[in-house]
Amino acid sequence: MRRTLLRTGFAALIAAGILVVPQATDAATRGGKMIYARYADSLFLDPVLNDANTDIWVLTNLYDTLLAPTKDGLGVQPGLATKWDSSADAKALTLTLRPGVKFADGSPLTAGDVKWSLDRARDPKAGAWSGSLASIDGIEASGDTVRIALKHPDPTIIPALATFNAAILSQKLFEAAPGETPEDKARAFAEKPVGSGPFILTAWQRGVSMTLRRNPHYWKPAEDGKPLPYLDELEFQIIPDDATRLLKLKAGEIDGTEFVPYARVKELQADPSLRMELWPSTRVTFLTMFAGATYKDGKPNPMANPKVRQALNYAVNKDAVIGITTLGLGKPMRSFMSATTPLFAGQDLYKHDPAKARALLAEAGFARGFETSILALSGNADEANNLAIVQQMWGQVGVKLRIDLVDNATRTARYRAEDFAMRTSLWTNDISDPSQVTSYAAYYPNIHSLHSQWRDERVDELFVKSQQETDPAARAAQYKEIQERFCAAPPVVFLYETPYPVAFRKQAQGFVQIPLGNNLFEAAFVDK
Amino acid sequence: MSRAGLVAARLLQIVPTFLAIGAVVFVLARLLPGDPVSAMLGDRATEEAVTRLRAQMGLDQPLWTQFLLFAGRMLHGDFGTSIALRIPVTTAVAERLPATLMLTALATVLAISIAVPLAFLAATQAGRWPDTLIRVAFQVGLSSPIFYVGLLLLTVFAAGLRWFPVGGYGDGVAGHLYHLLLPALTLALSFSAVIMRNLRAAILEVLQAEFVDFARSKGLSRRVVLFRHVLRNALLSTVTLVGLHVGALLGGAVITESVFAVPGVGRLMVDSIFARDYPVIQALTLVLAVIVSLAFLVTDLVQMWLDPRVAR
Repeated sequence: MRRTLLRTGFAALIAAGILVVPQATDAATRGGKMIYARYADSLFLDPVLNDANTDIWVLTNLYDTLLAPTKDGLGVQPGLATKWDSSADAKALTLTLRPGVKFADGSPLTAGDVKWSLDRARDPKAGAWSGSLASIDGIEASGDTVRIALKHPDPTIIPALATFNAAILSQKLFEAAPGETPEDKARAFAEKPVGSGPFILTAWQRGVSMTLRRNPHYWKPAEDGKPLPYLDELEFQIIPDDATRLLKLKAGEIDGTEFVPYARVKELQADPSLRMELWPSTRVTFLTMFAGATYKDGKPNPMANPKVRQALNYAVNKDAVIGITTLGLGKPMRSFMSATTPLFAGQDLYKHDPAKARALLAEAGFARGFETSILALSGNADEANNLAIVQQMWGQVGVKLRIDLVDNATRTARYRAEDFAMRTSLWTNDISDPSQVTSYAAYYPNIHSLHSQWRDERVDELFVKSQQETDPAARAAQYKEIQERFCAAPPVVFLYETPYPVAFRKQAQGFVQIPLGNNLFEAAFVDK
Repeated sequence: MSRAGLVAARLLQIVPTFLAIGAVVFVLARLLPGDPVSAMLGDRATEEAVTRLRAQMGLDQPLWTQFLLFAGRMLHGDFGTSIALRIPVTTAVAERLPATLMLTALATVLAISIAVPLAFLAATQAGRWPDTLIRVAFQVGLSSPIFYVGLLLLTVFAAGLRWFPVGGYGDGVAGHLYHLLLPALTLALSFSAVIMRNLRAAILEVLQAEFVDFARSKGLSRRVVLFRHVLRNALLSTVTLVGLHVGALLGGAVITESVFAVPGVGRLMVDSIFARDYPVIQALTLVLAVIVSLAFLVTDLVQMWLDPRVAR
């Protein structure tokens, strides 16, 4: 049933033109090497202590989790655990481990490793991600069974166990790593990580390349019953310049590359030697508005008035922005979360209506408009395009926008200090659940709703309830209400969601990028 | 001052320079808005995560405590651990420095080999068509942005003609040189334009000098006059220019390294500034300062060789 649903879902996405994936191939080629170019190198390959997508998106190739996100990103499927059962009171979870799984060095993966890894991942001192496992009260391991006791029922624990930070490491290998403290050991281990994933890292020249060899002990079989992965070797080359990556692809020096600029997508689609893939993503692009009564300097904030925030949304023609910046590849945002997020309850938001925008501004006492400013990343072409259009559209309703170009660390510092009027924003989910994006965007206590100071006590209450709601229908209803309430007078200007644009040579196939961004190479291969 | 004396004095001068630059860059890095923690944890950081990490990194200490710690370590040759990469700074810099040094050296050699003969030709043919042609061509080279020239060379010679690889660094010294030839040429094109214009002007000026008339009237051949007397004297200011330009060349390497995917310190510097990776920014600035100081020293030595009066 689930599989049928999944297939239907995929078919719908393909029909909608969102997903352009390779057609099924006759037979995968085994062996050989694939070279994939990335725009930036990874920093730290520890599932628990990393903090960047450049780490997260490749970790799945080295480490496994108990459960795994489905390819559509909407649910979970078996990983290192084949079976999971929730107790009647939903306060305990029993997982059965897949028999015979080995780490890449040939040593067996045990329930003890699972307990040790999850205890490490949920230690609040351990890193930015421990919150996803905060409901765990204790873990017991025996034989092939892992029993997780929860402090309270937690509907997010299942997707949390399918998220990168819950990856299972070998306790023995980690503790054998050189170093005195756990931090030193983590550093040493992350240089030469060994997991139970499809590949093992064999060489890493920072800023240049990463070489991964196939893990001969990998547990997952291919469709033909023989073991995955297909490739003997996978090389990541680090090429920061977009144009250079594409030149290299066209020259046949690499097999595939990520982050194709939107402006080049059509050209690559027309190239018969290449295949342009657009993977559905959880990536949403929007502008965040400060909604507090006064700015940091004490001056009154026009955006504190919900009507002003609505007006600014009505004044933006999202389709025009999508047409110009993404060359039609994007879709209008229909909630603060992407349409690929579980429990997404989207609606058509703020159809372009300058007259209504002007009327709302007049009602709010800004008939003659006002001046405001936005923090944007210098050197980012997409943001420059978006803001040029928004600036012009807002100009039509009397709102004058000043664009302040800064670097990312500056924007983040001002954001965290809540010292901004507006900023450019982008979001991707790390977990197949709406709780993460909601806790940042709409739930005030976490980070003051995107540091906007927007607050809706009903939303906070619904969110807290939803975090312990075990009835899926009730939880869906809670999320529907949260999204409706947020979108009614949001602290954001909705723009668009975009797919991940990835290009391959025709011969290179089988790559999958899930909506969370994870790069899956286990079934990738290169035809001779 | 003797040559050895000059070298010793200049090397000693590097020490206070080093300390002063160390202090300045320590403060400058911290004057940038934001800190490593906000760069690392990004927009999603919660208040407690930020506080915890700041304490872990010692960023909650008073600035002077941090500075004393940094200075003390630095005097022992310990530059600390990179915040973003989590490896020793010395390792990070040592891995990346050779590529940039090779690129800069190759670009300098290329620039000189292109500029000197052409400047000579342009000066001796001043006002005639070879001069005009050379000057126009170099004007174009000088005014083209580096990233554009780089992409153009890549598109034509690498992706199109396949004479060169499309970026990267290759393996082994021969592989490195092969991969670095196009990026070095990119850097050399604008640099050679600067050298060419300067040298051409210098040659024209020296040609007017009385000692040249004297040398000619002594009956020396045109060849000897031009090479031994004119070129040698004209090169004096060019050598200064080349020396001064090493810093600019290292700056230009930042862009070239990105376009050509060369893993050099230019890219490391940019990444580190974006990440507010203080230890790496500090170490790299110091290393680059030493390189520039050494380049000035070499410039002085070459000038002394060209014109012994400089030493006096």
